[in-house]
Amino acid sequence: MAEFLETTFEKFIFRVKVGYLYSNEDFWADMQGYMATVGLTDLLQKSKGDVAFLETVEPGTPVKRGQELGKIETIKATFGIISPVTGKVVEVNSELEASPHLINNDPYGAGWICKIELADPEVDKCELLQAESYMKLMKEKIAKEAKKLYG
Amino acid sequence: MDNKAKKVAVLACSGIGKAFGALARETTYELVERVRPNTAVTTCLALLVIGDPEAKRLVTENPVITIDGCAKECAKKSIESQGAKVAKAYQAMNFFKKHKDLKPEGISELNEAGQKLAAIAADELGEVVDELAAKEDR
Amino acid sequence: MMANEVPYVGIISCSGEGLPEGTLSLVACRQVLEDLRPGNSVTMCLPLFIAGGLEERTFAAKYPTITVDGCEKRCAAKATEKLSGKPTRSLIIPEILKKRGLPRPIKMRHLGKEEKTAAQAVAEEIAKAIDEVLEKA
Repeated sequence: MAEFLETTFEKFIFRVKVGYLYSNEDFWADMQGYMATVGLTDLLQKSKGDVAFLETVEPGTPVKRGQELGKIETIKATFGIISPVTGKVVEVNSELEASPHLINNDPYGAGWICKIELADPEVDKCELLQAESYMKLMKEKIAKEAKKLYG
Repeated sequence: MDNKAKKVAVLACSGIGKAFGALARETTYELVERVRPNTAVTTCLALLVIGDPEAKRLVTENPVITIDGCAKECAKKSIESQGAKVAKAYQAMNFFKKHKDLKPEGISELNEAGQKLAAIAADELGEVVDELAAKEDR
Repeated sequence: MMANEVPYVGIISCSGEGLPEGTLSLVACRQVLEDLRPGNSVTMCLPLFIAGGLEERTFAAKYPTITVDGCEKRCAAKATEKLSGKPTRSLIIPEILKKRGLPRPIKMRHLGKEEKTAAQAVAEEIAKAIDEVLEKA
């Protein structure tokens, strides 16, 4: 099975990692039992640009799905990191302080943002999208953006 | 004693499409035109790929500083692909991180903040140029 | 190219830091992308193309390309041919300026009125080339 689903717009290749779950806000969650690793999707990192600064809540902080657990600043925008799951942050990716570009270079791997101990994984799974469904959503978002740009 | 003036090659990625690419380019021009016009020299990155002998000599016979617009480090990789060593590699993003109040914008033409940032970055890199040129003198 | 696909042309610009025509090339290409042919033109980053950028190379292999060079050394055209295939059209700025009766640019940055006029002329030639390429496709 392919590791990624892909779609292309102009020269840009947008990827969705198979096996992860996705939120409507373009964040992913890799759920393993009661732990989830979360990060930005390829679509989000490409549309926002190169990450300059990142701030997150401290480990130990409870978060709810849909709530902000930090902020990212790129040259184009400052935006919230919206948690795709509910639980408690247990670890933040310390590599990102010195190397925030990992979010751009490897959004589904080395660019992970934090690990969250889940309150109820089954509830989160019901709210999140499988890779194929997120791919469909992503294509709609890309088409909408293209229409805005080119009419 | 070798009286030939020591040069330091400064190569920028100036990738089209990003403000940091424009910043990398502008910083290079500041260095070679204003800050260290007698020591810092630049050339076109693409000349290396087409095997231009003069460009290759410049980067293999002199210390090289690269300034990249993003973490893809195209300038650094292009120099290394020619078998040359990069003495100091910089990413334009890091100039912005040190001076958050000067946000570079614009791609074809940098905004005023970007131009100020390029000037500051070039002033800082001027000392690096001096150090590298001095090493070559020994 | 399939009938229902958007027709794109990749523009690969010389990024020559060592001469004013390099800056002119970048400015002209941005004008084409943003004003003259948005939606049909895609600019490709030459340094990234050279350094192995997957998106740049995949695009250049699939779609027609126009290279825009600042001098006779034709780095963009040669690099494109070496890494992807012969460009569909190869434009050289000194030739365009000569054709239009425009002087050679002097400034490498902070372009003045003359350089901006030259950039506009180059952008129009690129746009014309895009139209010709798409017509034949």
